[in-house]
Amino acid sequence: MTPLGRNDRTLLGRWFWTIDRVLLLMVLMLIGIGLVAVAAASPAASHRYSGGSVQLGDLHYFKRQVFWVLAGLPVMLGVSMLTVTWARRLAIAGTLGFLVALAAVPVLGAEANGAMRWISLGGFQFQPSEFLKPLFIVFTAWLLATRYDDHSIPALQLSFGFLVVIAALLMKQPDLGQTVLFAGVWLAQAFLAGMGIGTLVGALCLAIAGLGMAYLFVPHVTSRIDRFLTGGGDTYQIDRALDCFKSGGLFGAGPGEGQMKFSLPEPHTDYIFSVIGEEFGAIACFGVAALFLAIVVRVLLQLLEEDDPFVFLASAGLVTQFGAQAMINIMVNLSLLPSKGMTLPFISHGGSSFLALSMGMGLLLALTRRNRFLKASPYVQRWRAA
Amino acid sequence: MSPLALRQQRIQVAGQRQLALGRSRQRLMIGVLLFVALLAVVALRLLDLSMLQGAKPAGQRDLFAALVPPRADIVDRHGAELARTFDAYSIAVRPRDIVGDKRELAERIAAALPGMTYEKALATLNHPGKYRYLQRRVLPTDAKRINAIGEPGILLEREPERLYPNLGLASHILGYTDIDGKGAAGVERAFEERLSRDDMRGKPLVLSVDSRIQQAMEHELAVAMEKFSAVGAAGIVLDVRTGEVLAMTSLPELNPNDAGKGSVEARFNRTTLGVYELGSTFKPFTVAMAMDAGTVRSMGQMYECPRGLRVGRFTITDTHPFGRRCSVAEIMQESSNIGTAQIARELGGARQKAFLEKMGFLEPVSIELKERGRTLSPGANWGEIATMTVGYGHGIAVTPLHLATGYAALFNGGVWRPATILKVGKDQPLAPGRRVFTEQTSYKMRALMRLVVTEGTGRKADAPGYRVGGKTGTAEKVVNGRYKRNAVINTFAGVFPMDDPRYVVVAMLDEPQPLKETYGFRTAGWNVAPVVSKVITRIGPVLGVVPDEQREPNMAEVLPYIEPKAKP
Repeated sequence: MTPLGRNDRTLLGRWFWTIDRVLLLMVLMLIGIGLVAVAAASPAASHRYSGGSVQLGDLHYFKRQVFWVLAGLPVMLGVSMLTVTWARRLAIAGTLGFLVALAAVPVLGAEANGAMRWISLGGFQFQPSEFLKPLFIVFTAWLLATRYDDHSIPALQLSFGFLVVIAALLMKQPDLGQTVLFAGVWLAQAFLAGMGIGTLVGALCLAIAGLGMAYLFVPHVTSRIDRFLTGGGDTYQIDRALDCFKSGGLFGAGPGEGQMKFSLPEPHTDYIFSVIGEEFGAIACFGVAALFLAIVVRVLLQLLEEDDPFVFLASAGLVTQFGAQAMINIMVNLSLLPSKGMTLPFISHGGSSFLALSMGMGLLLALTRRNRFLKASPYVQRWRAA
Repeated sequence: MSPLALRQQRIQVAGQRQLALGRSRQRLMIGVLLFVALLAVVALRLLDLSMLQGAKPAGQRDLFAALVPPRADIVDRHGAELARTFDAYSIAVRPRDIVGDKRELAERIAAALPGMTYEKALATLNHPGKYRYLQRRVLPTDAKRINAIGEPGILLEREPERLYPNLGLASHILGYTDIDGKGAAGVERAFEERLSRDDMRGKPLVLSVDSRIQQAMEHELAVAMEKFSAVGAAGIVLDVRTGEVLAMTSLPELNPNDAGKGSVEARFNRTTLGVYELGSTFKPFTVAMAMDAGTVRSMGQMYECPRGLRVGRFTITDTHPFGRRCSVAEIMQESSNIGTAQIARELGGARQKAFLEKMGFLEPVSIELKERGRTLSPGANWGEIATMTVGYGHGIAVTPLHLATGYAALFNGGVWRPATILKVGKDQPLAPGRRVFTEQTSYKMRALMRLVVTEGTGRKADAPGYRVGGKTGTAEKVVNGRYKRNAVINTFAGVFPMDDPRYVVVAMLDEPQPLKETYGFRTAGWNVAPVVSKVITRIGPVLGVVPDEQREPNMAEVLPYIEPKAKP
């Protein structure tokens, strides 16, 4: 028996033959791009956060990113080896666990930039909401999947209840961006799970009303949205980001040649896409955005052949969250959306968020494992026939 | 098989769950399309930002911007550079980034930079702050030496710097800028907006000044100032037809590149800000006024000129007393105060004041500069005595530029024009003038002024062939409202060529001392008149005035009315 041969029936062998290798390859490419991008953004971030007694080396953030990649990859691969059953169990237990952590943030949390989002655990800081996100998506999928066989359980209402609790906790921090993401992904999942069109419209109205309330009653949300809509006030951050794209042009200034990046706020996290824009150009930016889309489309198209409602909903939810977060970040960088404080998955530098993303992607890889020779979708069959 | 039929079949076969899954798959495709649409939006926006908005390619735009100076250059009437802005070096230190040994580094810096000491360099290198200037306004060669040290903690930076390449040349016209690059004096101050405006700064400001003439004037004045140990000097060359200032200088010299180091005395512009009793140089105005008013009808009109003329409590005296009746021509030739005072008395205070007003002598001088002094005049006490003293240039204090514009009006046919520091031409039309004297008076004055130089007190101002005419003026200096003993302001106001007047040359020396070679005299004829002679000899060819010993104004107007000197 050759290792990873067709007849390899070990855990690793089965993993190798059932994993979505195209998806895995694209994710690894993304992580590679992320390393290059963080290397480009690192000097700018180091300059920005150096001062007084803190002197950061130019590649300080790059080195940390390497560390987080080395920590995150095993998490992703490890989680991807779970069976669907174990993935579900992990999600259910994790959701409940991190829900408690999220509720504890106001008590144990640390404040940063006017919001309380972090919990410090053994010298380690993490955002419970980051980990809760993928787990809650799988958890929601588990609840909603029951609708396919048994209508007696009020699955939709129940999962909505969980969403409301999470949204309330998030808005207390306050973290509008995450709230929108949670709600959006939930809505997508509910829609996929067959929610009626009327209910969908109602939910959308509710979401808009919720945003309106946030706009009216949460001051920083008010100011951010005002700035985005009117273009007035302090648009320094977003103007600097746009300067990056303008100065980069189609082909970029070249690695390490960027100048605008030094005036960017958070060049290594929220605005890393702008750094890519300046140093590698618009074409590279399009490549990155296209890679995100390719991952989303790859997963969604593969799901057309999926028969298990739980796997279907969970995978669709996870990849929607992944894609939506990427698109929101990119559109904020391009000034198509008001600024949100959301990172670019696998590209932005980030400790706990990178681990959470690795876990989410691990779950997705675990759920999409299957025999690549079985086809379920009539659509695909028809396309092949045509 | 049609999709509908296929679906019907599936419902029957797979039941409820398959139906739901089918709908889910449909909806999934909507999601895919949504994401694709989002990517299209992102792609369009990327193109918009990088191609359309960035299309004024940053590099190219910067190149053009780099060619437009942050402040307009100033050039003379022939385009010679008088002031420009360039990127100077400034040397700064980040003390914490210093790699090398600080003592050694300080030694090398002190050796590389003139005016830098080891102690000062070391103190800067050891400064606890993050950033510190070591020296600003550093020459490229010195900056290069610093760069060669190769210390990463030393930064070479560029900052715009105003440079006056000719050092002190025309410094009082040009003025200087302050530390922020804003005009603080002279043209820099008067034309601040013009020089710094975005749409104008690409075009140099063209002055009326001719550097060659400016240089000749400055040089001759400086030589005389040193020779006679004067405390200051001033000089002007003015085009009588246009009012353009071709040269205007004030000494002691000021280097505008380092104006802060100049003394108060050096920064003071004597030509437009300083007001002086200019004495006898005023007399031609009085004669011309009297001719226009009709009280003097001929150069041969006679006045009683005793050795002293008592007027009220005062006695007016002459340096060359006649003690007899003499003609207007003789009065001017020997610069008689007594004679001129009587001409002024005949003219009357009211008419005198009106003439002075028309010539702008009662208000700050007309020029674009901001440094313009208030003139002094008898004001409300313009009685008979005041009229008489003003007639020979006392009791009225004006700037040397007033005098120059007055002479221009007197000899250009009688039209007064404001002086201008800008070249008159396409962009700068000739200022409208006003008639002060009749053309006939202006014409007659030519011979009279030429007479002063050929036969009178201004003989040393003559420049062979250039038909110089003019008038000396020696006035006791007023300090704190009193006449200062043994201190004089000497002036010579000259015009050439006198047969067709083109240029006024005014030179002034402040407190010249008597010398052995001037036989102990300190009068204008001995010290400042030669300056005018030398200046005209130098600038005549530059201005295209052809020296011609044969040409003279119509001297028949005056020669019959003077007593031929007894030849020794």
